[in-house]
Amino acid sequence: MRKAYPEHPDTWLQGAKASIELGDLPQAGELLQYSQQHFSSNPGTPSLAAELAMRKGEWDTADSILIDARYDFPENMSIWLKSSEFAIHNNKPELALEYNTKARQCAPEQLAPYLQYAELAMQSGQWELALERWKNVRSKFPKKPAGYHRAAEAARQLNQPKLARQLTLAHQYGEDVFDKSPTNNTQRKNKQNNLAQFLELIWVNARLNLRSETHRNYLSYGWWVLEPLLHMVVYYVVFALLLKRGGENFTVFLLTGLIPWMWFMKVVGGSSNSIIAGQNLMLQVGLRPITFPLVSILQFSIKQIPVFLLLISFVWLQGYSPNANWWSLIPVILVQALIIIAFACAVAALIPFIRDLSYLVPTGLTFLMFLSGIFYDYRRISPDWQEFFLLNPMAFLLKCYREIFMENTTPDMITLSLWGIGSAMACILLVFIFQRLRYVYPRVVLE
Amino acid sequence: MKPVISLQEVGIRYKRSGSIFSRKSYFDALKSVSFDIFPGETLGILGKNGAGKSTLLRVISGIIKPDSGKLINSGASVSLLALQTGFDLNLNGRDNAILSGMLQGYSRREVESRIDEIHDYSELGDFFYEPIRSYSTGMRARLGFSITTIICPDVLLVDEVLGVGDQHFKQKAELTMVAKTQSQQTVVLITHSHQQIARLCDRAILIDDGISFASGTPQEVLATYEKRLEKNS
Repeated sequence: MRKAYPEHPDTWLQGAKASIELGDLPQAGELLQYSQQHFSSNPGTPSLAAELAMRKGEWDTADSILIDARYDFPENMSIWLKSSEFAIHNNKPELALEYNTKARQCAPEQLAPYLQYAELAMQSGQWELALERWKNVRSKFPKKPAGYHRAAEAARQLNQPKLARQLTLAHQYGEDVFDKSPTNNTQRKNKQNNLAQFLELIWVNARLNLRSETHRNYLSYGWWVLEPLLHMVVYYVVFALLLKRGGENFTVFLLTGLIPWMWFMKVVGGSSNSIIAGQNLMLQVGLRPITFPLVSILQFSIKQIPVFLLLISFVWLQGYSPNANWWSLIPVILVQALIIIAFACAVAALIPFIRDLSYLVPTGLTFLMFLSGIFYDYRRISPDWQEFFLLNPMAFLLKCYREIFMENTTPDMITLSLWGIGSAMACILLVFIFQRLRYVYPRVVLE
Repeated sequence: MKPVISLQEVGIRYKRSGSIFSRKSYFDALKSVSFDIFPGETLGILGKNGAGKSTLLRVISGIIKPDSGKLINSGASVSLLALQTGFDLNLNGRDNAILSGMLQGYSRREVESRIDEIHDYSELGDFFYEPIRSYSTGMRARLGFSITTIICPDVLLVDEVLGVGDQHFKQKAELTMVAKTQSQQTVVLITHSHQQIARLCDRAILIDDGISFASGTPQEVLATYEKRLEKNS
């Protein structure tokens, strides 16, 4: 380069600079001598000469070079920087600061004077001031994240390890780490205690589970009706066609028993394993154990609504027109709902403790199904057993449904309300039991 | 300063319940763990795999009660940073976000008011309205992490998760987490990464074999940890 462009100062000066950096001081001296002869008007020459003199320890030479240079090039930043360095070496901090100020005035867009400015504070042990100056460096030159580590050093000296850590992290992640407004909604106390929110969670959870279930299938919501319909067809074929049971109106008789029973069966069967299935949520977010059976109960019950509507329209089409007695459907359905909740929660509560029970649930439900008088009229069993038979709440409820739909009478309201009160009390008791066992379930499912 | 949560010689014993053919046996997940969590700090809990870290998280978050010792919580809400909580593959991103947020203790209105924030953060675009069944693992992780950005309990428990998803998102998630640890938020970070403890924590605790050993600055605790490792090997 120097052979090709001997008249170009940079080739000589950069060469000298590189030599200084490499520690080859004699080589640097030769190069600088050449530039001093040829490019004395270039401020780089005295700047590097001073640097070289300081490296060699020739302080007096450096001093005289710098004095001349400051006079010759009062607008040159690097001269002022070198002068400042020299002043630091001579232990004259005030002077160093003064020169540094000059340097910053000469070239306000340059990084080097600001770095030196902050370093000056570091060297005099003014850590607070240093921190402030480093901050200034970072804000002025956001693209050059120099100075995070030196600032962290200052913070450590001030015994602020947190700040030091933040500065180090800010170097990696950017200044956003300093964001001091972490929370828009702090101070949230255990909101789950709020009953309305708890019920909302159960509602939304059940609805979304249903949405998920229906999205899986091609026929989607169609299955809500189709599946129980197929079920009914099976029983109809077996009992009405093959066994020739019942005689006229047997279809209505069968459906008024089967549909309310299926509500009970699906809910109890569907929620029996809910606590074990919800163990991840219980262990991760501490959801109350009672949430799981309640979600299942609601989810399976919602699916029964269209089936019930289907039943009512079917009965109507068969010539049993609605009358005042049909109003008693409301208490009957309510009592059935209470019985279902109590029964399903009780089964779900037991199963985590004795998991073997989950094998018994389907068998138990089948047994109960045959004891509830779905396929036969309770009046056909021996009169001695009839009263006993009706102690089964499902048998009693099916009797109520048939009285309303087929026999045009008001069901036994006293027994009905007794069942209502009894199951409501059972529900309250279960809520307490779940509350007591709240911290037991997470361990039981783990063990 | 008063601690928000204080553990005093906490022990947890799990039952290894057998069938009728085998005897019951017990297993001590935690033997004696004591430390305090102070408001605003980032506390690192260091321990090897199987040192009882997950059990400890469950104790701190109040999900299980200690069998021995005491856990004193002065009314702080605690939650574990749980990714993809309650995710349902057949629901779309938005529904999953709402459900997950609600399961983590927020009201529907609160989650819905911040749903756009979650959507933007996740960078899922129109995929947000598709069932997450069609998502890649990375996209699911993005959604899961985005939901947690709205969660700020008094004490946040973090288990190893700092960055999730692909390279770009990972950096963003890491920044969010790092910013959280450096803010006023009280964070308990459980990890076996020395580097993370040193980089992020104000204080650290060493748990080994169900017992809390050292507590102090991250540097001190890491030094103790090294020493213990040497002794054991």
